[in-house]
Amino acid sequence: MEEYHSGDEVSFSPDDASNVVKECIEGIIGGVDYSQNKVNQWTASIVEHTLTQLVKQGKPFKYIVNCAVMQKSGAGLHTANSCYWDTTTDGSCTVRWENRTMYCVVSVFAVAIAL
Amino acid sequence: MDEDQSSEETTFVVDEITTVIKEAVESTIGNSSYQHSKINQWMSSIVESSLSQLTKLGKPFKYIVTSIILQKNGAGLHTASSCFWDNSTDGSCTVRWENKTIYCIVSVFGLSI
Repeated sequence: MEEYHSGDEVSFSPDDASNVVKECIEGIIGGVDYSQNKVNQWTASIVEHTLTQLVKQGKPFKYIVNCAVMQKSGAGLHTANSCYWDTTTDGSCTVRWENRTMYCVVSVFAVAIAL
Repeated sequence: MDEDQSSEETTFVVDEITTVIKEAVESTIGNSSYQHSKINQWMSSIVESSLSQLTKLGKPFKYIVTSIILQKNGAGLHTASSCFWDNSTDGSCTVRWENKTIYCIVSVFGLSI
């Protein structure tokens, strides 16, 4: 059957995902300062937009998008991820972004759907 | 018939996973104060021991474990997650733990195979 052009297994492209994420972040918090009453809205928009854009690519993946926004105030923040999956088809990418008043860390995990 | 038993084994059970994670966090940083030099070790230990306990449960799932450790310093931290998956079989759970000097947030996402 010639339904898929590039073989049966599609693997995750971290570069594509990373570009999608960067555009979403820039579009939502690009030129603004940290604001406590808006930050909930921002994190929700970032994850939803990123997810929508990824799903539009039409690839056979389940996605998890995680976003953390932190005020720049001298505190230490550490994050770690560990994944138990199929390393040939699944993957993740993490984008770190900052401006004058805040840090934003977005992680995308993509897990292939068995077709 | 084993049908009821096997459907319990193929859905994400939040309570069980929460217990596993709490034990992993307690045993790693239970009584400690924030120490910059030990953080990397703590982080690796929390995610790795959580993941190995989860895989020992023997369920047909792929897992993603995410952990955040934050020093208690007055800074604001907000996190959000959005997931595109199969609602009937996949799930997530988040455990928030704190002591006098550290906040620790661990999220587990389970995707059925």
